[in-house]
Amino acid sequence: MSLNYVLKRIALIVYTLIIVSLLVFAITQILPADAAVMMLGENATPAALAALRARMGLNDPIWLQYWHWLFGIVRGDFGISLRTGQPVGPMMFAALGRSLLLAVLSLGFMLCLALPVGIFAAIRRGRPADMIIGLLSYVGVSLPEFVTATVVVLVASDWLQLLPPTGYVPLTRDFWKGISHLILPVVVISIILIAHVSRMVRSELIDVLQTDYIRAAHLKGLSRRNVLFRHALRNALLPTITIVALDVGYLLGGIIVVEEIFSIPGIGRALIVAIQTRDLPAIQAGALIMAATYSLVNFAADILYAWLDRRIQYD
Amino acid sequence: MIDFSKRLIRSPQGAAGTIIVLLAIVIAAVGPDIAPYDPSAMSPLLRYRGPSLAHLLGTDEYGRDILSRLLFGARSTVTMAVLSTFLGTLVGSLIGTISAFLGGRADEAIMRTLDAVMSIPSLLFALLIVNLLGSNSVNALLAVAITFTPAMARITRSVALAVRKQDYVNAAIARGERGLYVVTREMLPNVIAPVIVETTIRVSFAIMLFATLSFLGLGAQPPAQEWGLMVSQARQYMHLSAWMLIWPSAAIAIVAIGFNLLGDGLRDVLNPRL
Amino acid sequence: MVTEAPERVLDISDYSLDYRTVTGPFHVLKGIELSVKRGEILGLVGESGSGKTSLAWSIMRYLPRNAEEVGGSIMLSGEELLLKSPREMEKVRGSRISMVFQDPGTSLNPTLSLGQQLSEVLLAHRGLSPQQAWRESISLLADVGIKTPAKMMKRMPHEASGGEKQRIIIAAAFACEPEFIIFDEPTTALDVITARQIIDLLTQLQTRTGVGALYISHDLALVSQAAHRIAVIHRGEIVEQGTTDRIFETPERDYTKMLVSASPDPRQRLVEKRDENAKGDLLEAKDITVHYGRPPFLSGLVGHVHSPIIGNRSVSLAVKSGEILGVVGESGSGKSTLAKALVGLNPFSGEIVFDGRSIRGIRDMDRNYRRNVQIIFQHPDASLSPRQKIGEILSRPLKLYGRPEATLPQREAIERLLAQVRLPAAYADRYPHQLSGGEKQRVAIARAFASRPRLVICDEITSALDVSVQASVVELLIALQRQFGTAYLFITHDLNLLRQIAHRIAVMYRGDLIEITDAGEIASNERADYTRRLIGAVPLPPSHAATSFPNRE
Repeated sequence: MSLNYVLKRIALIVYTLIIVSLLVFAITQILPADAAVMMLGENATPAALAALRARMGLNDPIWLQYWHWLFGIVRGDFGISLRTGQPVGPMMFAALGRSLLLAVLSLGFMLCLALPVGIFAAIRRGRPADMIIGLLSYVGVSLPEFVTATVVVLVASDWLQLLPPTGYVPLTRDFWKGISHLILPVVVISIILIAHVSRMVRSELIDVLQTDYIRAAHLKGLSRRNVLFRHALRNALLPTITIVALDVGYLLGGIIVVEEIFSIPGIGRALIVAIQTRDLPAIQAGALIMAATYSLVNFAADILYAWLDRRIQYD
Repeated sequence: MIDFSKRLIRSPQGAAGTIIVLLAIVIAAVGPDIAPYDPSAMSPLLRYRGPSLAHLLGTDEYGRDILSRLLFGARSTVTMAVLSTFLGTLVGSLIGTISAFLGGRADEAIMRTLDAVMSIPSLLFALLIVNLLGSNSVNALLAVAITFTPAMARITRSVALAVRKQDYVNAAIARGERGLYVVTREMLPNVIAPVIVETTIRVSFAIMLFATLSFLGLGAQPPAQEWGLMVSQARQYMHLSAWMLIWPSAAIAIVAIGFNLLGDGLRDVLNPRL
Repeated sequence: MVTEAPERVLDISDYSLDYRTVTGPFHVLKGIELSVKRGEILGLVGESGSGKTSLAWSIMRYLPRNAEEVGGSIMLSGEELLLKSPREMEKVRGSRISMVFQDPGTSLNPTLSLGQQLSEVLLAHRGLSPQQAWRESISLLADVGIKTPAKMMKRMPHEASGGEKQRIIIAAAFACEPEFIIFDEPTTALDVITARQIIDLLTQLQTRTGVGALYISHDLALVSQAAHRIAVIHRGEIVEQGTTDRIFETPERDYTKMLVSASPDPRQRLVEKRDENAKGDLLEAKDITVHYGRPPFLSGLVGHVHSPIIGNRSVSLAVKSGEILGVVGESGSGKSTLAKALVGLNPFSGEIVFDGRSIRGIRDMDRNYRRNVQIIFQHPDASLSPRQKIGEILSRPLKLYGRPEATLPQREAIERLLAQVRLPAAYADRYPHQLSGGEKQRVAIARAFASRPRLVICDEITSALDVSVQASVVELLIALQRQFGTAYLFITHDLNLLRQIAHRIAVMYRGDLIEITDAGEIASNERADYTRRLIGAVPLPPSHAATSFPNRE
């Protein structure tokens, strides 16, 4: 993996983050005059509006506002929450931490299921087992998180009384209770991902199993086991890294919905609250942090892929 | 056309998908006319009922007939999803084709920028746009359309590039055909097919996105009959009547699955046989 | 050899195979009777769809799920293979019967090292320890001519050339001292000179080890170099068998005769000498250079010097009016690059002189140039838009350049074009996927000739076709040349074909034009080094009685 490749990737991620910051800023603050109205509501007094505008620097030209905001972020200052009066940065990052726990658990759970299911479906291609898995995948991929969440809560909490429906307990305080609160959210987020990733794994493995080199391996008299595990899987699973990285986008979307439904104080919930209370700095910070996380995940995946696949000489 | 339809029905995905989507379109069109009750008609004495002869799917917390609400709601859900996907595809494929046509550094710059835009997760992007424009159905439609545009641009571009490499395009250029002819008569017919497949599958995603926005209170507003909204409102009364929850959820899932299946069916049929 | 009759290593009797399809069973092999003795190479020659590859799979007992064996027997050294269980066959494959494949580029796992892929055969079948297998593999590599075997073991497939990869695959095939080896078109994906080396290696190893072999190919001339006996297979049946000499000298069946005569023989000239006094140069290309590739994004910053990939380096040649100028070279020689530059598909520097006009770039190519300089591509599937009917495809050049007989209505003009390439008029309403490969190529020829060009550039137009189809397409081209006096720039890697049809031959190598010479002089000792190596490497079919082309298709 050449220096050129890494440098190019770094240049790209810097560019990406700049564009993302521009977009987030633009979408939230594009009508500077109305930003104040958005925050204080239609019935605010003109004096209050003027004061807010002055305080927030809303009378400056838009590019200057953007610059102030960006510069602040680079220094670590994400602004003050209009709702709580506290600095937005620490609040958002703490929330991000809790979301990351959810995300990592979901990814882990997803991989543990999606990989074996996908591999199994590929090996049993065309047979009843594969068809059933295929059908379930279609269903899984078409269920929005809020539907799954609602049904799952209905079944597990109401009918079976197995797990708590909402709420969050930090793992540091009570590990098992904390886990019990996280089980349902993790399952809900994972369903779409499992359906999608297992489908991709299946299709990658099927493609690999039809290549000339796999046929050559069989014709050398290597056992089926050997061919599958030593030859086929390494080639099929490598692209999975890219697919999973891209799916993190859906994961983040799922986190927003799931945190809202299960009342988990992660960054998704913080964003929804910020949107509902028109807390502009919080909205901007939350959106930027989420998008930046996604970009960094993809960046890491690119580097990992390149390192594992020594065939990539340069981009 | 007939041959095309026959081939579509031949695969199980194509058949199932076509049936569901046709049903959805028909209901979207005539749903309000065939609904047995007025969707906003309340009957305080008939609340939280399960399915019965009078109310085939039961009633909700105000005693409104769920079936009628579903039939009315189909119009907004299905129409909005299809329109927003269509809009996103239109703008996206224009950008993608132009980028493929320009090639070189311009193409690379456009693609990198689109990649950057796509780093904002779809739901988040839609939320931000709706937040900016205001929470109602039309803005949700715009939000979903804008969210889809970069992805459709990318797909169109990669298909266009693949088609561009084909010898029949080279043959046309070598013949001295005008650029406009090459793009419209040689490239476009071969680019449209994969794009149609992708668009159809995207509609299912749009349905889910739309429903999620309404669920979060940022799309259609009560007392609209949008399905996502129905699920959101039913949550509080889950233990009183699960049916209020189940039917709209099932409707969303079935229509989304239908478009997914149809897309897969189309993929097989629209592949040019070589 | 031993005094007693050599035993038969492979014995196939009355073997039939079907594939189950939606439209009913497809009889891919019918009543095959074949045998191979120890120390003998049997060539199996057939065109695409003949079933030769399916026969190889049958012998290896590696059949697709929808295959159904109807009857017969396949015996390896007296043991019936059809009775063996899958587990028993796993032990047989790779150790008692092994295979060398067609494309070394795709037959090796790109993520495992070459050494791993060689030693795993030894590990699986000879029960060696990993260290022993590794050491044994190194000596095997030396046996197949790899220069630094220990280093090669550690390399990945993409770090080795096509020839080196094929040698490694051969080493794996011979590693367990099998009784029988199947060579499935082992040289098709290699360039001619490397192919020659590989065939020599194969025959050497085979003689040394006395293994019995089946050499599958579509190329009769090639097989005649290596095989003792030849079996011809057509549509699932063995049409004829016999010694190599006998097949060429006195072929009995019509199909065999057709194959033999379709194999390009440089000793049979198909074109008359060109009238030297006819009008001079039609097109002159001066110092054509084509670059590929842009510098990577940050290379300037990091200090890399970017050297662009050269497609053509200062190529100068002239095509005389009415002549067939052949261009021969391996892949990467730049011949297609040149062709594309001449029709404006590649940007180039240098000058083209045509009809007194100087053309320095794509913009200078005016209507007159375009009408008179046409190109036909290699792959018939890709050169016709799948969504246009044949009639529509042929109407384009008519619209652009007008009809040659200006009074004819469009429909009749199209039918006349089809007739010219011996296709029925009804094809105008068909789509490309309803035509065979050879028919599609004829449509491409008709399209090129619609404007009555003075020069037609043929870019490997026969390489993707079966030998029999190839012969009929070539025949068509010659007929058209006689009729219209068109000049051809005929690009191919098949030197034998050029020696049959070209007036002059240009030899290209790695972007450079090595030399141009009269076709008759191409084998002389005064030729350049590379040319002589090329001539030496190209297999000549054994001499056979000259036959006129029977009508095909």
